[in-house]
Amino acid sequence: MKARRYRCHLAAAFLFIAGGFASVPAHAAPVTLNFWAAWDPTKSDGIDGMKQIALFEQSHPDIKVNVQVIAFDALHDKLITSVVGGDAPDISWGLVEWLGELNRMGALPDLSAQMSAAPEGKALYPNALAALTIDGKLRAVPNYIGLRALLVHTDMLKKAGIAAPPKTWAELLADAPKIKAATGKPAFGIAGTGVRTPQELVMFLAQNGVKIAVPTKDGKFRNDWADNPAEIKRAAEVFAFYQSLATTGAIDPAAAGWGYDEEDSEFAQGRYAMVVDGSWMSERVAQNPKEMADLDIVPPPYNTTPATFFEVNPFYIFKGPHEAAAWQLAQFMIGREYQGAVDRDRSPRMDVTGDGIWGKSFTVLTPIGVVFPPVPLGSITQSMEDSVGRVLLKHQKPDVVAAWLGHAVNKALRQSGQLGSP
Amino acid sequence: MGAVQSIARGQGIAQRAKTALAKTPRRRRRLPLIAWVFLVPVALLLLALVAYPLLNVVWESVHYVNLTNPTATGFSGFDNFETVFEDDNLLPALWNTVLWTVFSVGGEYVLGLASALALVGPIRGGAIFRACIIIPWLIPIVVAGLDWSWILAPDYGVLNLWLVHIGLLAHPVDWLGQLNTALPTVTLANVWRTFPFYTISFLAALQAVPPELHEAAALDGAPAWKRFWHISLPHLRPVTLTLVTLHVIWTAVNFDFIWVMTEGGPLNASTTLPILIYRYALQNFDVGAACALAGMMMSAMATMFFLYRYGFMGLVRARVRRLNAGDA
Repeated sequence: MKARRYRCHLAAAFLFIAGGFASVPAHAAPVTLNFWAAWDPTKSDGIDGMKQIALFEQSHPDIKVNVQVIAFDALHDKLITSVVGGDAPDISWGLVEWLGELNRMGALPDLSAQMSAAPEGKALYPNALAALTIDGKLRAVPNYIGLRALLVHTDMLKKAGIAAPPKTWAELLADAPKIKAATGKPAFGIAGTGVRTPQELVMFLAQNGVKIAVPTKDGKFRNDWADNPAEIKRAAEVFAFYQSLATTGAIDPAAAGWGYDEEDSEFAQGRYAMVVDGSWMSERVAQNPKEMADLDIVPPPYNTTPATFFEVNPFYIFKGPHEAAAWQLAQFMIGREYQGAVDRDRSPRMDVTGDGIWGKSFTVLTPIGVVFPPVPLGSITQSMEDSVGRVLLKHQKPDVVAAWLGHAVNKALRQSGQLGSP
Repeated sequence: MGAVQSIARGQGIAQRAKTALAKTPRRRRRLPLIAWVFLVPVALLLLALVAYPLLNVVWESVHYVNLTNPTATGFSGFDNFETVFEDDNLLPALWNTVLWTVFSVGGEYVLGLASALALVGPIRGGAIFRACIIIPWLIPIVVAGLDWSWILAPDYGVLNLWLVHIGLLAHPVDWLGQLNTALPTVTLANVWRTFPFYTISFLAALQAVPPELHEAAALDGAPAWKRFWHISLPHLRPVTLTLVTLHVIWTAVNFDFIWVMTEGGPLNASTTLPILIYRYALQNFDVGAACALAGMMMSAMATMFFLYRYGFMGLVRARVRRLNAGDA
């Protein structure tokens, strides 16, 4: 009898405690967001970004942000494998090149409704949002835009007697020997390896009116060079341009092995005259003030069509229990205050533009920006990198390389289930 | 009394012996059980850590497994193998794997043997040399790879600087960025890192050679190279076979050293089969194709070593038996 009473008291106490917990409002439990960022925590964007996140935490006491810095080189593999392993971060930096893959994996929620309802949606460049939209659904939020412009060491051009930076490929190739003769340095820089190689190639292709893959009627994509002699001719002209850059000495022979870091560092140290690069090079002015003092920024040279690479670096929000809180953080980071403090020179907001050459010189190029098609790009970008190597290192004929790349792109699309019918 | 005690003691001993004898079969019966108790954890570990991953590789090699394409699932037949065989990079990667393995193991053997012979004799400061020579092998692979990348860099690397300075080169060479120099350069760096393991192994074997054999041969007027050929080298045979066998496996499947220095580039010039497997799995995220290639590589290696173990070595043993029978 005593034992029974004891058990009844115990059950009542348990129910009381359980009921007490249940009555606590759900929002009182703090949410910790895992945020993967690829900024350099020692540079201004990283420092300012962390200050802004501290402000976000103050204004949202129920949300904590756990920032993990991961370099871009490692971020792709980590994101894909974490999504497959069911342990994705709540929100992350990324490249727009990964949009197709992550969308195909079903990892990204549709953010269209939130963006339509948010005031930030109207302040963002429409083509930045369009670049992150697949089948009418917004799958990511623009973090910053990385438009590419032609950065010029004007002193080297003056020394060579060149009055203005080149506006076309032909002018660039004509200027190269003069610059080499006057300064002993190459005229131009490219990245022959790494993530920037396909970005530069897609830009050069666009400057000659060619696309790496085009949408098909069945909602998929296809490289149509083999079906269209005019297209493959234009693609071959792009590879011929690469070859001319090498044979005329317009680029350093070692550039075939450069990644983005070497390309940026060599330019910042004044070891060649011109490069098509992004506004992040403003960081290099502080590191190499003497060499970067003569800098000018103009639109990139082209062949038939003015174009530049439009790098829309997104915030990826991943499906999971913290989607709503992650959206709040993303909304804060595309807000005017955050963008003005962290990404003033490369903001995707139309109402935030930097002063001087690092701001408007780039943002005026937004209308001619081109992006990758929204398909899984893993082996496509690798093939693009290989195609540049085939021209510069194996010295293969441009038309052969163009045909090879077209075939490789369609093979990759077939393997990812994205190859459309001709 | 004493006799009685001694008889009693004798009876006690006999009784204990009888009891022990009676117990022995029971213990013997228990022995397999005890053995199982000790073996089961190990067997479970081996099943979980070796058998399961291996079987999983075989299973996934005949299934569609693509991390970025969750809709592609199910039995694939030979599609993954077809993907691998259609790849233009397969044959160059296979050839690179052969070159990388043969020249790495060959270089390590020659350099290891030469340094062991130099250090086996009584030389002043020999202990210091022996301690120093092991340093490259102690450096972690990633650190060694990065060090070499910096040493070989065309614009700021010290090797190019020295070679240009002393007039051996007219201008710096991008050793890791050229098609024809990338793989030989990584191979040389690998030889540099690994040869100390051969050195210490050979040194131990050479020091175990009885000095009387060399003394007797010297008294008979045998020159140094003949003593090396007929006395030292035969004593090195067991350690050589072990070293070469292990290093052929370790080198052929090596991934990290090449990846750190060239990532298989430029333009796949230093891509070996393990690099290709990594690319399938973690760049194209086509796990099925990666498993197909990994399975083929594993089968080829296993076949090679089964042939070596039961074919070549069997022939050698048979010949030795015949020779011994002839002597008798």
